[in-house]
Amino acid sequence: MISKFRAISYVKWAFSYLVIIFAVLFAVFPIYYIVIMSLSNVPALTDLSLSSLIPTPSSISLNAFYDIIFKSDFLLWLRNSLILGASTVAVSIIIALLAGIALSRFNLPGKKALVITIYILTFFPFTAIAIPLFLMFASLHLINQFTGLILAYSAGTAMFGAYMSKIFLDSVPKEYEEAAMVDGLSRFKAYFKVLLPMAKPIIAFLSLLAFMGAYTDYALANVFLISNSKWTLTLGLYFLAVTKTNTLYNVFAAYSLLMGLPIFIVFIVFQRYLTQMYSMSGTK
Amino acid sequence: MRYLLKKIHNDFIGFMRWKNIKGYLKGYLYLIPLIALVLFLFLYPIAYAVYISLTNFSIYHFFNYSFIGLYNYIVAFSSGVMSSILLQTLIWTVGSIAAMVTMGLVLAIILNQHGFRFRKPLFILLLFPWAFPAFISLLVWQGMWNYEFGIINKILGLFGIGAINWFNSTPTAWVLLIVTNLWLSFPYYTAVFLSMLQSIPNEYFEAAKVDGANTWQQFRHITVPVLKGGLAFIILSGFIFTWNNFYPIYLLTGGAPGISTDILTVYSYQQAFSYDFYGMGAAYSIVSTIILAVMAIVMIKYTKMLEVIT
Repeated sequence: MISKFRAISYVKWAFSYLVIIFAVLFAVFPIYYIVIMSLSNVPALTDLSLSSLIPTPSSISLNAFYDIIFKSDFLLWLRNSLILGASTVAVSIIIALLAGIALSRFNLPGKKALVITIYILTFFPFTAIAIPLFLMFASLHLINQFTGLILAYSAGTAMFGAYMSKIFLDSVPKEYEEAAMVDGLSRFKAYFKVLLPMAKPIIAFLSLLAFMGAYTDYALANVFLISNSKWTLTLGLYFLAVTKTNTLYNVFAAYSLLMGLPIFIVFIVFQRYLTQMYSMSGTK
Repeated sequence: MRYLLKKIHNDFIGFMRWKNIKGYLKGYLYLIPLIALVLFLFLYPIAYAVYISLTNFSIYHFFNYSFIGLYNYIVAFSSGVMSSILLQTLIWTVGSIAAMVTMGLVLAIILNQHGFRFRKPLFILLLFPWAFPAFISLLVWQGMWNYEFGIINKILGLFGIGAINWFNSTPTAWVLLIVTNLWLSFPYYTAVFLSMLQSIPNEYFEAAKVDGANTWQQFRHITVPVLKGGLAFIILSGFIFTWNNFYPIYLLTGGAPGISTDILTVYSYQQAFSYDFYGMGAAYSIVSTIILAVMAIVMIKYTKMLEVIT
């Protein structure tokens, strides 16, 4: 009887680890593949073979990284991406927090309707607004400029952010800012000095969402940014990978890594906290 | 009814008190930026999209487009394109969700087993696809699925499976799309389910053990009910996310072969920005928006969202 239990338990553990190891291989392989490709001197996809998956010291080269940084517009596009990302973070966080405070702290008529409207709007497909925004911005001469894009990105994050910060601020007791007001601070200052520092986790999370929204957007940038000098990293990558057919594969891989690795590192370092926030918010 | 009228009356009286009005104005002041943004960059554009969908706005009629009523919608529905796109959007969404939720659940249950070693490092490795920006990973996968040179066909070759032209037939195109999307999304579902499982207090299992329940009974009567509680919200929000998920199909197949793997968001974007049929593109996006609005309302009703809001 006991040995039968043992056997079942062994089978159970063997099966468990087998499944997890398969899942890990599935998860890690594409990332490993792109790292190896970026370091290789495999110039094209046509020259790829299984043996190129296992690097040898002689096959490793940093040429692709050199080419990307010094011989392409990578740094210019990076600058553009950072401008868009940082501005989107600033605009959307300010708007989201102001709205979050109002929705959490003030007793306003129509508040519930507003929260529900905002929540429903966050479900809408971006194509629903991409087409009209393109035509609107064209008539306002905002095409090929960052201003229009920053506003478009901020709208999405600010709506979701207002909803998230309302939920978060609801969990912070009112007594803190009330005590500050008793000490003579104005209402706004009390929010600014007391509530804001406590809202740091939600601010950090929303900043990441806002930044990622701008940094990884292709669909809107593709429509709004026309000239090469205004392109972002995503437009540059798409150009290298799809439009320009003679791109070297290690160059594409190096570009992908340079663009993706900073995000990857931030995510892995803060994974405990981020997975919690994401699962709370119901988004990916 | 009478109660409601009385409530409205009281609210109105309360609203009219000057002190309250001052308070309201202050509150609304905080909301003005958000409301302005929503009005000008969301509600107005959607109304404008409805209008555009009723015109023949395209590259051929850029400056002299005219109102053509429901013509775009009639063409879309009567040509059969709309119904096949809707069906494909459903295949894409349901297929992806089924795969992602199943894999997420299985992995979470395995990882959560008492005595599972190396849980943390293995879990972090499983998060890799989520940590890398999807736009980039998709372009990498695009190369991996390549017929002649792709690494996937080469790996399958090791097992004696001949090269498959993934992009060339509809069924294999769906396989590549759903497998790639599974790769992108399973870490999220694993993390969500794992955090749900870990929120169950250990005392429950210990109490069950004292009562003589075996592992299966513990799973059946403690774990399953907890998972069921959150499943509706997870599936519904995943459904909406996948329905709207633009990049996998846009970057991997672009809807090919033909338009047999195209979905609403992608088709609408392509109509507008690849072929410059803005009117037709807007019509497809409006249909998608209406469906999503209905789903959002269902979501709010079924997941007790209102209790969180108020």
